[in-house]
Amino acid sequence: MQYPEAIAKLIDSYMKLPGIGSKTATRLAFYTIDMNEDDVKEFSKALVATKNDLHYCSICGNLTDEDPCEICRDKTRDQSTILVVEEPKDVMVMEKVQEYHGLYHVLHGVLSPIEGKGPEDLNISSLIKRLQKIKAVKEVIVATNATPEGEATAMYLSKLIKPAGIKVTRLAHGLSVGSDIEYADEVTLFKAVQGRTEI
Amino acid sequence: MKLTEIELHNFRNYVDQTLKFSDGINVFLGENAQGKTNLLEAIYVLALTRSHRTNNEKELINWQSQTAQIKGRLQKRLGTVPIELDLGPKGKRAKVNHLEQAKLSTYIGQLNVILFAPEDLSIVKGAPQVRRRFMDMEFAQMSNRYLYNSTQYKKILKQRNRYLKDLHYKRQKDRVYLDVLSDQLSAYGAEIIYQRLQLLKKLEKFAQNVHSEISQGKEKLAFDYRTTVEADQLGSVELIYQSLLKHFAKIKDKEILRSTTLIGPQRDDLHFVINGKEVQSFGSQGQQRTTALSVKLAEIDLMKEQTDEYPILLLDDVLSELDDFRQTHLLTAIQDKVQTFLTTTSLSGVQQELLTNPRIFRISEGNVTMEK
Ligand SMILES: Nc1ncnc2c1ncn2[C@@H]1O[C@H](COP(=O)(O)OP(=O)(O)OP(=O)(O)O)[C@@H](O)[C@H]1O
Ligand SMILES: [Mg+2]
Ligand SMILES: [Zn+2]
Repeated sequence: MQYPEAIAKLIDSYMKLPGIGSKTATRLAFYTIDMNEDDVKEFSKALVATKNDLHYCSICGNLTDEDPCEICRDKTRDQSTILVVEEPKDVMVMEKVQEYHGLYHVLHGVLSPIEGKGPEDLNISSLIKRLQKIKAVKEVIVATNATPEGEATAMYLSKLIKPAGIKVTRLAHGLSVGSDIEYADEVTLFKAVQGRTEI
Repeated sequence: MKLTEIELHNFRNYVDQTLKFSDGINVFLGENAQGKTNLLEAIYVLALTRSHRTNNEKELINWQSQTAQIKGRLQKRLGTVPIELDLGPKGKRAKVNHLEQAKLSTYIGQLNVILFAPEDLSIVKGAPQVRRRFMDMEFAQMSNRYLYNSTQYKKILKQRNRYLKDLHYKRQKDRVYLDVLSDQLSAYGAEIIYQRLQLLKKLEKFAQNVHSEISQGKEKLAFDYRTTVEADQLGSVELIYQSLLKHFAKIKDKEILRSTTLIGPQRDDLHFVINGKEVQSFGSQGQQRTTALSVKLAEIDLMKEQTDEYPILLLDDVLSELDDFRQTHLLTAIQDKVQTFLTTTSLSGVQQELLTNPRIFRISEGNVTMEK
């Protein structure tokens, strides 16, 4: 017997999510059928909204529903430091620690020619423009991951930014070699913010 | 260190096989194409997570299966350790003491092996990559640091080669990033070259002793590591790093033109010298064999010095390749110290009086029977 088309399509959609195979997708689909209608509507609206209402902040590159983002608009934040991260989710992780009160810049990746990512393919030129425009920035903290690619990206940024007389530091301590910032626990991140080194 | 037991599931032509080994000499005896080398390969893969014969891991898995498993039981000075390697379509998983290891560096080094196959006799005359591979495989087992540095180095080298190509085809134009990659490569490259030199110096001493004995004091063996880095700049990691940087600055344009990295440990070579003469060019067949054998036996001593345990020796069809004198030397050198696994099609070419209490396994079409 074949599933009715609506269910087949739903199973197929669930299977597009990471880590979900056909068994789990089928279970989720049948669960969805039993959910109450309002919840399903909310669910589908939330899904569509992620595509329609979310943008990248034109200043820092973070994910936001308003441009500029909440952090860039917040004048009470320390305007003299910018923390450079690979992905929007890294911003969330740092914000959770509540130890850092400056601004952010999201690169959307790291330098990796093998994956087709050279200097022009990352959100780097907007960082340079930002530094030229806003003279208040005294320090740029590079918090890319401790992979060879993350290190090379940090070195590259340091070579570009340092000649302008801005201090460039690296989040070093606490992040284990080869690890993702995403998986670092809050205590190690706290130590990392404290113990950054100049590059 | 001893491998007391191995369990194979769908590895090559072994579907389900458990073997208990002797601490001394284990002989895999059988006709051609029955699975003798496959057994040595299983031990080698269990130790190093990769094969010496192929880069294609699929070949290791039995044709009727999707996954393969190798389990081993190690007897070390400090107790027994079970280790396990699973191969499958999604890659490899390695376990020590039933715990999955996230990093290669916590797995490799658990079981140390030295393999001596007929191809190794060509370590002297063969292509340079044979000698680089030999250094990398041995040194990675002895030093976690070496393994870490060479893993990082390979990643950066790949990125740099791709970026040189991008610059060549004008897909990218930023030269600052190339400098960053050169800097990074020099840093890891310098560590590797320095470590190679340190370990080679020790290996050379051991090899000299063995060689001198086999040649009855008539010959003196020496190593000569060939690299772009100037001889007077090899004294420290920092000096090597500076030298590599300087060279990279000079050859940048040429590298972009050729779309590849032209200097570094992946291009270096190791030469052997007997009584001041290059063995590669001037050595006789016999001298080449003696050199290969000396280097292999020296590895055993170096491994013992660096890790405090004797490695396991795998001899694939080499005994029959060596004359009686060299055979005697090899077998007396390992006697009562090194657990050995050797393959042969017949025992007639082997000096059996030197094989003390060997455990003999008869191999036939992937089936093993132990001889009394
Ligand atoms: N993935 C695989 N699945 C099943 N059988 C395999 C697989 N790979 C190799 N074989 C079989 O293993 C045999 C070769 O084994 P091996 O190389 O160990 O031979 P050997 O006993 O060392 O022979 P020789 O004396 O010629 O060196 C061949 O019969 C081959 O068909
Ligand atoms: Mg064979
Ligand atoms: Zn913003």
